[in-house]
Amino acid sequence: MQLSKRKGRLTAALGLMTAGLFAGAGAHAQQASQNINDDTSTDSGLTRVDTAILFYQEAGGRVKATEPVASFTLNDDSGDVLHVKLTADTLTGATPNGAAPWTHDQTFITPSKTQGQKTTVTSASGNSTLVTIPGTDVTARQYTVAANTLPVDSGFRDQRYAIDLGYTGTRDNGDRLSFGGSYSSEHDYSSMSANVGYARDFNDKNTTASVALNFESDTSKPYFGTPEPLTQMSGTLKGGNRQKTVVDLVAGVSQVMNRYWLMQVNYSLGDTSGYQTDPYRIISVVDGESGAPVRYLYESRPASRLRQSLYIGNKLALWGTVADVSARLYHDSWGINAETLEVAERIPLTSFLYVEPSYRYYHQTRANFFRDYLIDGQALPENASSDSRLASFDASTIGLKLGMRVRGNDELYLRAASYQQTGTSHPSYAVGDLRQENLFTGVKATSVILGYSFAFY
Amino acid sequence: MKIKTLHMAALATSAACLLLGGCSSLGAKSWDRDLMARRSMQPVTHPLIAGADDHIYFSKEGASGGRSFDGGGCGCN
Repeated sequence: MQLSKRKGRLTAALGLMTAGLFAGAGAHAQQASQNINDDTSTDSGLTRVDTAILFYQEAGGRVKATEPVASFTLNDDSGDVLHVKLTADTLTGATPNGAAPWTHDQTFITPSKTQGQKTTVTSASGNSTLVTIPGTDVTARQYTVAANTLPVDSGFRDQRYAIDLGYTGTRDNGDRLSFGGSYSSEHDYSSMSANVGYARDFNDKNTTASVALNFESDTSKPYFGTPEPLTQMSGTLKGGNRQKTVVDLVAGVSQVMNRYWLMQVNYSLGDTSGYQTDPYRIISVVDGESGAPVRYLYESRPASRLRQSLYIGNKLALWGTVADVSARLYHDSWGINAETLEVAERIPLTSFLYVEPSYRYYHQTRANFFRDYLIDGQALPENASSDSRLASFDASTIGLKLGMRVRGNDELYLRAASYQQTGTSHPSYAVGDLRQENLFTGVKATSVILGYSFAFY
Repeated sequence: MKIKTLHMAALATSAACLLLGGCSSLGAKSWDRDLMARRSMQPVTHPLIAGADDHIYFSKEGASGGRSFDGGGCGCN
């Protein structure tokens, strides 16, 4: 399913492109400081391996993910860098199907992965059965959600494998030119991308300007086909695969402000065109008086989306600690405006140990086609989705990282974080008995990342 | 939408011009970059953590990107 996947692609590549600010000031790894907190060694001439595993769990038995990842960065003495990253995801659990909760049990029917069989199966919820649609030989899956609970589909399981490649070459004048690409595949989705970037230093390497362009092509291939937007949910097989393309531009400037302060400003512009609807997600059509569900429609989202953001990041070395303070403004053509503020403080504990508490605040407005539900008898809008990601909400993350030097500049690190969204659970416009229901489907999640990074010749 | 786009682009351009235009008076001399050279001062010290965070936020929030590309690889939005 296509609910929790992404690639943090090119974070590393862009980091490499701003590496000029740091080049020439450090020592090689074999001369690494004995103190992890003032280590100025570089990886020039070394191969660095960074491995980590992410455990992610949403409250209420919702999505659970395990993601091992490994990256290999080969650095030669001239500044050229080859980067390979391998990722594997395993996702299980229950995910909201988009319907509004109700005061009585609700039963949903969806196409089955298994056709031509009529057996009863038990899912994680214990309420899923295979049925044959009367008058046909089509096998469908039916599940029931208890009254006054968030409708979730527990038949959620997928695996994803991804590879990211990147190469950054340093020209004689110090400019960096980078190329990269990625491919990821899962049962019902595939994605490939290619990117190119350029970076140049100015002012005795106190300033770096960079620009990067990324092209991406994705194919959505739900196991039961792609439903026609805003048609009634049913157990019959749907249409064929759908595609979308993404073009992203990131232009940035990094500036050493003074001995203690580094600032980075990025402007991003992205254009997505094609199929952006979640093929598994539905929206309730309810009675305008009582709020009772009348039917369920597959959701619909616009085929184009223009996104832009302004990011300002700061690193401050003060009193032996390092503060990381960043802010982001975001706006897109779907009507979502968002503000993000992140603060982290790296605090040395001993010469080989540090701790880094962090806090992140996020707020977004709703997309202009977000609806908790639709009213029966009213004209259907062009697009409609009840996805909480498109709703208005606040979110906060509290995190704590622990890093320990093991030998040389090898590092063992652990980061735990708690994430919670808060939104309007009982909107004033709710009709009938829906006023009693919690209509906000945001998540509360916990994640733990354990990693080990080491380098060798 | 166009006005908002222009505002944000203008804001970004202003910030970039401020940095680029004023950078001759900013910065640190090469012998004064001991702090800047520390690994802990890299913009992203732990790329795999940053990637995992981007992964989580992308799949749960409407906004994405900023620090790097916000592309997708996902049909969920």
